[in-house]
Amino acid sequence: MISPIHIITLTLGTAFFIGLLKKLNLNISALLMLVAIAAAGTISASWFTAILSGAANAEVFTAGFNPPYSINLLMGKGEALITLLINLAGFLGGVYLLKSLKERGIYTMIIYLVFIMSLNVIVMTRDIFNLFVFMEVASIGIAGLVILDKSSKATQAGFKYLIATGVIAGILLIGIAFTYYFAGTLNIDVIQQASIINFKAGSIAVFLVIISIILELKPFPANGWGIDVYEGANPGIGAMISAASASAMLFVLYKLAVLVPESFLQIITAIGILTFVGSNLMGIKQSNANRLLGYSSIGQIGLLTAIVGLKPFLGAQFELIAVSILISHFFAKAGLFWLSGIVKKQNLKDWAMLRQKPYLLVLFGIFIFALIGFPPFPSFLGKWELIMKLAHSHHFYILAFILIGSFLEGIYLFRWLGFSIKMEDANLPPLTVHWNKIIPVVLSALGVLGSGIYFGTITEIAASLKYIPLLFIALLYVIDFLPVYVKNTVSIAGIGYYLYTIYPDLEGFKLIFGLIFLAGGMLTLVAGYFKTGTRKGFYPLVMLMFAGLVGLIEAHTTFEFFFAWELMTAGSYFLIIRGKKSMTHALSYMLFSLAGAYLILAGFGLAHIGQSSYALDILASVQSFAPLVFILLAIGFMTKTASVGLHIWLPGAHAEAETDVSPMVSAILLKAGVFGLILLMLNMGSQFIGSFNIYYALAWIGAITAVMGNMMAAFQEDAKRLLAYSSVGFLGYILFGLSFMSHLGWLAAVSLSVVHFMFKTLLFLAIGGIVYRVKTKEMYKMGGLIKKMPFTFISVLMGIIVIAGVPPLTGFGGKWILYNAVLEKGWFFPSALVFFAGIVAFLYCFRLIHTVFLGQLKDEHREVKEAPFWLLLPQYMILMVIMLFSALPNSLLKPIGAMLAPIFPEGALEWQGQLAKSGFGYWNGQVIMYIVGGIFVVVFAWLWYMNRNAQKVKQFNIGYSAERPSLPETTHFAYNFFAPYKKALGFLVSPLITNFWDSASEGVHAISDKVRRIYNGNVQTYAFHILAFIVVVYLIIF
Amino acid sequence: MEYISMITGFLLVLLGLWGVLTQKNIIKIIIGFSIFDTGLHIVLVSIAYLRGGTAPVIDKAVKVTEAIEKVVDPVPHALVLTAIVIGLGVTALMLVYALKLYQNKKTLEVQSFNDLKW
Repeated sequence: MISPIHIITLTLGTAFFIGLLKKLNLNISALLMLVAIAAAGTISASWFTAILSGAANAEVFTAGFNPPYSINLLMGKGEALITLLINLAGFLGGVYLLKSLKERGIYTMIIYLVFIMSLNVIVMTRDIFNLFVFMEVASIGIAGLVILDKSSKATQAGFKYLIATGVIAGILLIGIAFTYYFAGTLNIDVIQQASIINFKAGSIAVFLVIISIILELKPFPANGWGIDVYEGANPGIGAMISAASASAMLFVLYKLAVLVPESFLQIITAIGILTFVGSNLMGIKQSNANRLLGYSSIGQIGLLTAIVGLKPFLGAQFELIAVSILISHFFAKAGLFWLSGIVKKQNLKDWAMLRQKPYLLVLFGIFIFALIGFPPFPSFLGKWELIMKLAHSHHFYILAFILIGSFLEGIYLFRWLGFSIKMEDANLPPLTVHWNKIIPVVLSALGVLGSGIYFGTITEIAASLKYIPLLFIALLYVIDFLPVYVKNTVSIAGIGYYLYTIYPDLEGFKLIFGLIFLAGGMLTLVAGYFKTGTRKGFYPLVMLMFAGLVGLIEAHTTFEFFFAWELMTAGSYFLIIRGKKSMTHALSYMLFSLAGAYLILAGFGLAHIGQSSYALDILASVQSFAPLVFILLAIGFMTKTASVGLHIWLPGAHAEAETDVSPMVSAILLKAGVFGLILLMLNMGSQFIGSFNIYYALAWIGAITAVMGNMMAAFQEDAKRLLAYSSVGFLGYILFGLSFMSHLGWLAAVSLSVVHFMFKTLLFLAIGGIVYRVKTKEMYKMGGLIKKMPFTFISVLMGIIVIAGVPPLTGFGGKWILYNAVLEKGWFFPSALVFFAGIVAFLYCFRLIHTVFLGQLKDEHREVKEAPFWLLLPQYMILMVIMLFSALPNSLLKPIGAMLAPIFPEGALEWQGQLAKSGFGYWNGQVIMYIVGGIFVVVFAWLWYMNRNAQKVKQFNIGYSAERPSLPETTHFAYNFFAPYKKALGFLVSPLITNFWDSASEGVHAISDKVRRIYNGNVQTYAFHILAFIVVVYLIIF
Repeated sequence: MEYISMITGFLLVLLGLWGVLTQKNIIKIIIGFSIFDTGLHIVLVSIAYLRGGTAPVIDKAVKVTEAIEKVVDPVPHALVLTAIVIGLGVTALMLVYALKLYQNKKTLEVQSFNDLKW
């Protein structure tokens, strides 16, 4: 094993060597520089693997004396890892900067080498004065590298950086001097034994040391200088500061944290959290890419600072939490800074340029998701463990602030990602990518992915995760160049095979929802055959969503559930953003999902208090805050069911989605929320706050959602929006049914879930087919399509009969059961609303059939053809199932009833053949089917008979107020169809909730803008911030 | 009298900080920083002070056994040398920056360099 001292000798030696041989070829010098850093990295790596496999830590003594009489270096597990990261960043950063380093000559390379070397020493040294020296060397190195960029901005930023770090170093020097004065040594381990914190002067000395280290980590609000340098410097340097330099300083904080008492650790935590939240808040208003990365960097480092402060509470998981979050930050931030150097445009909207090279977009997405903490990236595990441990140790405020900070970070990162995927890019210059700039980015992405999978394998809780679906998704990426029909077949076969393998294990709710998710998935995928070409990137994303959905079904632990939930969210986000005008809708979907996911995470965290297992049934035995756990989880799930207040993402997201994506995200995805609610209610049962039944509130929410969703649907001009709002309303019924906690209520809710899946798929595919043909979604621009698209007409007709809940189709059965449940339960006020909602549903149902299919055909639609076969096929498959369930209602309801019987033994329906009896009446679906069928046949036969007398007329052969209309529009009234109702009831659907969220968003942006004004750009203000920060923290502590 | 050098050092530190915070000319700010740095060095040296102490050289005048009471602590002296060298480096780099800033905008007024903010 090579001694760690050679990390220093190699880098420093090479620096001297290339300095001495100034005449050396630049390429050779650059090569030597990279080789030296790579060698240093190899030494770190060899120590890291050796120590992991049980070797002892290495200590290096210098100057022939033992410590404390000389400086000593330590190479332990932490040191090895951090120096490995530093040298890795140094190497990749060196490759990235190759061109500018060569342009600026040998001296720059020397500075670069010395900078990397100094970071290594900072990490390894056990001597605080040595630490000071090399921190100064690193500062000088950064300032030296920054100034090589000739721009005025870089110079200004570097000057501020130099002054700020100079002042901080001065404070550190005073602290070191007095620490030495009191402890008589500079060696960290000996200082620790000297316990100088037991008297005030000694603890002030230690305070000055620690606060300087914290200041080097750029705590909010004393960090204007740091943000400016991120913005002003070359992104290549920014990457080094954010990844390498910050990692080193964090490790120093961790190393020195042993010197301070616990009360001081709390202050460190508070500073970290404040930085995390404050920095991310200010990021929201930012439009400059590098500065935004600066805010995000500082925020992440703040979170890690807090984690160092929380170490005593994190126990054995500390290493996992800290390292996983650090590594995600390290790779993602370095990668993003490097990408920024490739894009060269500072305005976030200009990142649409990335689309010119789709693989850059993929890399960008990987970094964003890694930063936010989605699976399978390491930060996902880290955040999970952190939240669990915080809940366990009752750090509820910290938990809440961490989730708020993460959410704020999500706002700007996902907006940025949305810009890059969807923003107009017509006027942007072409993107040129050099090999040396892209290789580091690719390697970072592989690094963050690989480390995520590695962490998954070494962590106990993640060991049970199934990676097979993810491998399948990877396979789909590999075959992405193949035509649609191949990939579609592979995808359907994949889902089918998976369903086949898990089918024997499914039972009860898992079976029902498993079938909705997987069989439903296959069915909607069938529609995909109508697309031609390759449909790049579509199939992996679809499969990602389905992998998440099936993961929910298969989850046994809260962790697996959350993992699956996040996969599903990621997949569906990308599916939604594929729509033409979906940028803002996808963002709002993501933000609601993210907030929902954090509520779920917090709920699981609280549920886990006092329990050792993570099994899902711990929800049944929640020890403390049970009502709060219930509310957090319920709201989390309701973001997916789009209950009133949380629904505003849905209409746009579903309406703007592609033809065959709409049914996936509407008919299938929403059921994930329903499944979550069922799981929650099954496990937690009735919940009361005082004597108030939370389920009563849920019933009201369900009822209001139903009315409001249906009313909004009735007033839409856009056919797909109409369907989207109708989903909102229908999910309201389902929530309403679930809230009853009775046999009939749940029977209604579960059967309506199945029914909703069927008719919503049917309608979205049918309407999608029409939109595909007539190229508009506005219903008033359609009309008279019945003759052009008769098959689609039948689909829509059947679909609306189901929604409206009129006999003979299945919707009626659901409604009948729901009404019986109401009679039994007696919650009449919300029930009245639900009845009213049912009537409103007739309005939009009628509008859909009337304005689209009846009336006069528009001139431009004379050549319209029937919808593509592949869109019709799944519709008719569903229609067959609907007819089966309608004619034989017990084929659907009896199994569900049997499944509910053990949970709600009382109030079950009694079945006699197809006759269902409740306590209030009976219903025979089969007989009704016969009767309606009979009436239909009679009327149809009569019409057919009468048809002999009919006279064929041309379209305009009509009398119309003594005039002959010239345009079909004038005879087909469809725009603002329900104007009178809108006049009467429109106030009920005024966009109060949208306005509420809009003003909430505006408020956050305004606060963000106000707060960031503290950074006025003046170096003296920044220096003052630093001193004031020290004084304030001093006053808090002493 | 024992603490006079330490007090002087701290006064210089404060004086230097005052200069850094209030001067409008970048050269003056750098001079302020230099004074701040010098103050630090004096504080560092004053820590080693021992009343009636002598140079840390063990010879006829100071026996090994009584060295601990008689000689001043040599470590801070060693440290201050390093600190002075670093201070020199930092100050030099600051002056380079001042030069570059002047070349950019033909002024040394610190308010003119607030382009990066918010």
